[in-house]
Amino acid sequence: MVSNSNGDRGQHWEAQLRKGCLEMAILASLWQERLYGLEILRSLSEDSQLDVAEGTLYPILSRLKGEGLLQSEWVEADAGHPRKYYWLTALGRRRAREMAEVWNEFSGRLAALVEPVLGGKQR
Amino acid sequence: MTTSAQFVDTRIEDYLHRLNTALAGVAPPQKDEIVREIRAHIVDTVAGSTDRDRAIGRVLGLLGTPEELAERYSTECLLTRAGNSFSPWLLLRTSWRWAKLGVKGTLAFLLALTGYGTALAFTVSVFLKPFVPGVGLWFGPHSFHVGVENPDEMRELLGQWFVPVVAVAAFLVAIGTTQALRWMIRRRSTTPVAPITQTNLSGPARV
Repeated sequence: MVSNSNGDRGQHWEAQLRKGCLEMAILASLWQERLYGLEILRSLSEDSQLDVAEGTLYPILSRLKGEGLLQSEWVEADAGHPRKYYWLTALGRRRAREMAEVWNEFSGRLAALVEPVLGGKQR
Repeated sequence: MTTSAQFVDTRIEDYLHRLNTALAGVAPPQKDEIVREIRAHIVDTVAGSTDRDRAIGRVLGLLGTPEELAERYSTECLLTRAGNSFSPWLLLRTSWRWAKLGVKGTLAFLLALTGYGTALAFTVSVFLKPFVPGVGLWFGPHSFHVGVENPDEMRELLGQWFVPVVAVAAFLVAIGTTQALRWMIRRRSTTPVAPITQTNLSGPARV
């Protein structure tokens, strides 16, 4: 987390930026394996420091499933109650790949643009 | 081993009961599944904690109030359905709900209101024409509109073609509005439809 001098406006911008990446991040977290909600939250937090509130995640999972990007299944767990596991459908995999490609190109270009800013260079 | 049966807590049960009630607009099978999943999440989260009371308070805080959570589910559900629907009523209802969440939703609602309102007015005028001959497409020095006018001051442009032309126009306006709304809804931001309440949160910004 980068501290910033613009207070609320800086935080708002960062929150919007994170929100914008959320769908791609959720799809990417399911790229390699089936996960249930809490595992997706932990994966996002540990792998990308994207802290998502539970109340945000579950409605999005519901929508992604409704759009045919995810599929789900209840699986009995050692915890003594079933858990709802999600995985990517073929459409979901295609969408995840498209989003990742766009992100890769976009972030690469922006990284080049902001490099002087971070390096403190001036014209 | 910890089982869900051991986690009977009045706060959890109250939360799930309120969620179930607030999800009134969601179809029963999906509603049951939502409540079941939220219950499983709460139980999983609390199970690994040493301070159970605090863990319950924290996870319920992160879920938001049952009403907020239900609103998010309902809106997501409605937007998904509307994006695949041709029903003007569903699209109008959805854009009204969406309008409460931001500028794009407001624009969609205004488009729905204007488009469907115009189509409805055209349709009504088509049905009125046989009974009220004064209904027509009137043109005059200061006005140009569909409606009833005084023939002395204005000229009617369509004559016997009024019914077919305005009926086709009503159809095209309705179809155009429907397609535009479907396009807007499908291209809407894929970010969460409502911000999460920041209560009980600490550390880095959550989304």
